[in-house]
Amino acid sequence: MSPRVLVAMSGGVDSSVAAAMLHEAGYDVVGIAMRLAPEPAHLSRRKATCCSHEDFEDARRVAERMNFPFYVVDLREDFAARVMDNFVSEYLAGRTPNPCVMCNREIKFDRLWQRARAIGADFVATGHYARIDRDAAGRFHLLRAADESKDQSYFLFSLTQDELSRTLFPLGAIAKTEVRARARELGLLNADKPESQEICFVPDGDYAGFVERAGRDRVRAGKIVDSAGSTLAHHAGMHRFTVGQRRGLGIATGEPMYVREIRGDTGDVVVAPREQLSSAGLIALDVSLVGAHAYDGGPVEVEVKTRYRQRAIPAILQIGSGRTAEVRFLSRGPAVTPGQACVFYRGDEVVGGGFIERAVEA
Amino acid sequence: MRIFLDHNGGSTLRPEAIAAINRVVARGHGNPSSIHRAGQSARRDLELARRQVAALIGAKPFEIIFTSGGTESNNFAIDGVLRASGSRRRVITSSIEHSSILAPLLTLEARGFEIIRIKPDSDGRVSPAEVIDCIGETTALVTLGLVNGEVGTIQDLDGIARRTSSVSAAFHIDAAQAGGRMPVDVNELGCDLMTLSAHKLGAPAGIGALFVRDAHPIAPMLLGGPQEDVRRAGTQNLIGAVAFGAAAEAALLAQPAESARIGAMTNELWMALRAAIPGLVLNGSIEHRIPNTLNLTFPGVLGESMLIALDLEGVEVSMGSACAAGAVEPSHVLLAMGRSAAQARSSLRLSLGWNTSQDEIAAVAEIIPRVLRRVSASEPIAAGEGAR
Repeated sequence: MSPRVLVAMSGGVDSSVAAAMLHEAGYDVVGIAMRLAPEPAHLSRRKATCCSHEDFEDARRVAERMNFPFYVVDLREDFAARVMDNFVSEYLAGRTPNPCVMCNREIKFDRLWQRARAIGADFVATGHYARIDRDAAGRFHLLRAADESKDQSYFLFSLTQDELSRTLFPLGAIAKTEVRARARELGLLNADKPESQEICFVPDGDYAGFVERAGRDRVRAGKIVDSAGSTLAHHAGMHRFTVGQRRGLGIATGEPMYVREIRGDTGDVVVAPREQLSSAGLIALDVSLVGAHAYDGGPVEVEVKTRYRQRAIPAILQIGSGRTAEVRFLSRGPAVTPGQACVFYRGDEVVGGGFIERAVEA
Repeated sequence: MRIFLDHNGGSTLRPEAIAAINRVVARGHGNPSSIHRAGQSARRDLELARRQVAALIGAKPFEIIFTSGGTESNNFAIDGVLRASGSRRRVITSSIEHSSILAPLLTLEARGFEIIRIKPDSDGRVSPAEVIDCIGETTALVTLGLVNGEVGTIQDLDGIARRTSSVSAAFHIDAAQAGGRMPVDVNELGCDLMTLSAHKLGAPAGIGALFVRDAHPIAPMLLGGPQEDVRRAGTQNLIGAVAFGAAAEAALLAQPAESARIGAMTNELWMALRAAIPGLVLNGSIEHRIPNTLNLTFPGVLGESMLIALDLEGVEVSMGSACAAGAVEPSHVLLAMGRSAAQARSSLRLSLGWNTSQDEIAAVAEIIPRVLRRVSASEPIAAGEGAR
């Protein structure tokens, strides 16, 4: 009997092609689309009401065409408890969360894996652009995608050996253009569908509005101050800011000012001119290592990415106790954003990562 | 092998229904309202179907109005009675009715009608005395299901008709899940209106009927041509009607042996599952239950996972109230019966039908405990909680 694989399908091109490739490779594919976000009450329900969700219908058509079973599952409660609540609390605490990392860790490679086992599957597959390699010693390596412009390994840093051993990323070795070509070849109707950019549960992109609706009574107003501590303006909530932000500060100064720091304890948003937006390193929490290599946690040179759309820069990584890590950039690096993931690479390989707690200034 | 245990969702077409459809399709045309001979043949077929459906519930043929299905019949019964009943504003129902009853009543409530929803006991039984107590001079309509489609509980409707007729209120029974599966007689029940659905008894979806007792006032919902005695405009669905008629006749002829056979298999399945699964709960009345339905709460697992896992093993069952886009809302019937949302989410409905075989039941009795062990080991949920 061929191994059964649960493929997480969103209705998009990537997961559709991933499912089709596995089906063609002889796997016993079961397509699963996840109901994650609740219907946004403030938006028109016409586009995404019960029983008429367009994206799910696209996924369903792919499954019908390839003739493998497909189901929509309801994981709204888990998603709310394990991803959305965290998103809201992080913003309210003056941090900038990365819900996609959370969703991968909490939903796709944990909650969905439980479901996979429940339905008799041996693997979970997604349309992520990343590679998994198994070496001669049986260790699993998490690697950047062959198509570097699409690489999504950043979002997957928390995967453990156990999780990697039962995960398949069929798109890791091929280019996005090839994926689109394969989609057309397979007659997938969504071959030219535009890629989704927004966070799925905030379809209108208004994060501040979302946070305010979900955490109205926890919104923390405060001051906008400069590096010297002088008040430049007042703001209506820390959640409206992220490090590096320039627009919407509501201050008029000679030179352009950027958010350099958000002080969760006082509610102050510190702004500074561009040249002051740098840091010497960072402290990360909730750190995990992929564990493909023997490593004692001592100082080691890595390249680190502190935002998804950012080049990895050289740094020294030192693992601390209690799943912490200190990262020192070899030369001064960007201003880092608490709440975002920082991911450690060595060459093409993901060593591990964590969540940025704060910048190290010197 | 696929084993279909979702006959309450829509039963397998009976061969008699297929034969009737083929006969009409082969003829190719014919509008029962036309005067020419093709029209006359169509009318003959339609009226035969009407007699067959009427016979199922002891009605007179002209008391049967063909509709597009149970939902239309239920909507029509409510709308048609209330628009014909003057100034009365009270409607009495129960909280476990089908959505095609509850949804229109919710709209009426917003328009100022007084809607009384009687709560059932933990078996899903509505007390007729409680219903009767609510009936008064302002009551326009009492509408109750005879058999609940989710749990299979049969209601005791004794005495309600006497009370409604004494105050000239209308009594509507939704018999969509009862027709063809148990003896149903409009005269014994004494109702003024009754809903029937074709696809629950082995005909296709898209056809149903509303029984309206002779001379009982009802305002038409669909306006247009004079079809169905000016009570429901629109060219009749002849293919559906002949299938409905044939299936109704076949179901009636098969009674009571078919129900006895199905009931024995249902019991056997329940005994086997109960022995194999500690903590398994049968929802609904043991005693007052349609013989084909088992609504079961599987402790510690999500019904959604069980349903998918069983489907992959070839066993087709239902959660009662899921929708195609996967939003699983806990069954309003189980909630009204006092189950928690978590218990409702752990529940599945197995409904047997006219073509369910002994071999299938034996296979299912083995498959379900096996699948349950895997699901519960893989995706445990704590008792008394939803997803963690």
